[in-house]
Amino acid sequence: MRSSRKWLFISILFILILALTACNDEGDSGSGEAKEFIIGYSGPLSGPAAFYGEETLNGLTLAVEDINEAGGFEVDGQTYKIKLSSLDDKYLPNETAANAKRLVQEDKVNVVYSPHSGGIYAMQVFNEQEDFIIMGYTSEPGATAQGNTLNVRIPPRYDNYLEPFTKYEMERFGKKIAFLPTASQYGKDWAEALRPVWEANGGEIVFDESIDFSKDTDFQTIMSNALNTNPDVLFIGGPSEPTALVLKQARDLGFEGGFLVMDQAKVDQMAAVLGGGYDLLEGVVSTVPLVNSEFPGTKQFVEAYQKKHDKDPGAEAGFHYLSLYVLTEAMKVAGTVENTKKIMASLNQGAKNVPEEKQVYVVPSVSDEGGFEPALRMAYIEDGELHILDGDK
Amino acid sequence: MELFFQQLLNGLTLGSVYILVGIGLTLVFGILHVPNFAHGSLYLIGGYMTLMTMKWFGVHYFIAIIMSIITVALLAVLMERLVFNPLRDAPAIHDKIAAIGMVLFFEALVSLMWGTEYHRMQTPFGDTIKIAGMSTSAQRILVIAVAAMVVVLLYLFLKKTMIGASILAMAQNREGAFLVGINANAVAMMTFAISGVLAAIAASLASPINLVFPAMGHLVILKAFVVVIIGGMGSIPGAIIGGMILGISESLGATYISNDYKDMIAFLLLIIIMTARPKGLFAKEVY
Repeated sequence: MRSSRKWLFISILFILILALTACNDEGDSGSGEAKEFIIGYSGPLSGPAAFYGEETLNGLTLAVEDINEAGGFEVDGQTYKIKLSSLDDKYLPNETAANAKRLVQEDKVNVVYSPHSGGIYAMQVFNEQEDFIIMGYTSEPGATAQGNTLNVRIPPRYDNYLEPFTKYEMERFGKKIAFLPTASQYGKDWAEALRPVWEANGGEIVFDESIDFSKDTDFQTIMSNALNTNPDVLFIGGPSEPTALVLKQARDLGFEGGFLVMDQAKVDQMAAVLGGGYDLLEGVVSTVPLVNSEFPGTKQFVEAYQKKHDKDPGAEAGFHYLSLYVLTEAMKVAGTVENTKKIMASLNQGAKNVPEEKQVYVVPSVSDEGGFEPALRMAYIEDGELHILDGDK
Repeated sequence: MELFFQQLLNGLTLGSVYILVGIGLTLVFGILHVPNFAHGSLYLIGGYMTLMTMKWFGVHYFIAIIMSIITVALLAVLMERLVFNPLRDAPAIHDKIAAIGMVLFFEALVSLMWGTEYHRMQTPFGDTIKIAGMSTSAQRILVIAVAAMVVVLLYLFLKKTMIGASILAMAQNREGAFLVGINANAVAMMTFAISGVLAAIAASLASPINLVFPAMGHLVILKAFVVVIIGGMGSIPGAIIGGMILGISESLGATYISNDYKDMIAFLLLIIIMTARPKGLFAKEVY
């Protein structure tokens, strides 16, 4: 008796579920013109890199909201509204790969964003078979050097910075450099790329170790050792805030030279951690903070971001915002939201079609390997003030 | 030679923080035989409480530390009452699972309330001090001085007061302590409160040197466990020696061998000590 009642209950439940799903299906096709287009995201939303992950996701979310508020985007006569499906990968490549599989299978996405090189490499193993585009936020030149046909690199490659950064620091401070980058793969690759450039310009590397920001919070020990070799310049980098602390501890220990800062750290965020003002960052050469940039759409984006999150956006947020516009414009050009090959081929035209007020950065072209190619710019701090140098000058 | 003393000083600073966190951990273990993984959460909350009290009320650093100490001590007592006490008769694994649950809970809570960003704690002791060719900041001297003071006070408290004696009694022999009429609940709460106080002090002192962020707790707790295992679980002198060994071996190892291998040196030390004395250097007091 009991068991038959249980069966009855289960069958009713089953029918109910079926009915609900059916309703759902009806609802979808019944609601009319706008179809849903889902975009996947996998990034660090918890753990030590959560702040970074959140920033990238905020930029992307803002773009999704703006596009949807403007009525979605139209491809081949069909309007689409974007839905963002985001998963946490804790900065772990294996989690990124698992998340990407899940996004492809459950949400049927053909675009997955990830803001770290490890995750991007992990997805490159199978993204062509599974037919989805990787929207990768990493300046690692290797990310686009694998010959992957469905891979996009959003920020500029860091190897463009090596020569100008080296020249600036060497001329101003001297030829001896101490290497203290972050211990991540990205930090090690950066260091390996910088080494030959620094040496080719007649420089010398007097100290060569790395800092593990996921294990250490006090850098006085390694800094004392580095300064014991009397360097003129320190090569530092990693997340902005601990990097700022590394810089401060160097100054506390009496270092008076310059800092060559990896593109992961942002000078405006570093200054904010040290209590505002650029005078503490004297002698830094780095990338240009978004808030100091003057592209057509920068001001509007910065204001919208500040209003929503009550803080300044970083380059990550800006580039993610822009990248979604490049992607949707490319889909319009390609005339499809499904054919990934066609979308990839249209990215270059898509970048050119981004409306001016959305150009948080100006990306004049996208390379054949899928790399965005904004003009080279660098920032340096002299006499307590931030100066910007455009690459073409 | 100058570098050696500079690194010795750096090692002392590191070691002082490890000692403060380690003692809290070892005290709780001594009484309850629970490795309190959530001790890092107390450290985390301690850091945030000091920072936020300074931000909200604009009070002096020391007043903020006192507020933080009170809050974290209460939180630690709540932890004992609501989690560890109800689980005291449960299978041994349950309190460990609960502790890990609390770690995740508090980290998420802090992210939710104050965001995932890094905060910097400004203190009146940021100035650089130069002594005989060595540079350090006033804050670092403060860390060492306060840690030494706290250790002495704690020693006096445990050895010279009735409450302290009852804590030691319970650590040495649980049944014996019950037989002479020591209130187990009161002692457990007291021990948790002290471990909270120590965590709050450590976090408040170390945060101006480091940063305040949601993951700060488990960075330090990992090291604290090494300290406590080296010294012997449950032994206070062990935690002091262990903390110094780890702090100084990290800074000298980084100097004379390699920074990349300094953790290896610390763990190698752990293995050697474990092999020679499986219960840790000073473990016999506990069992």
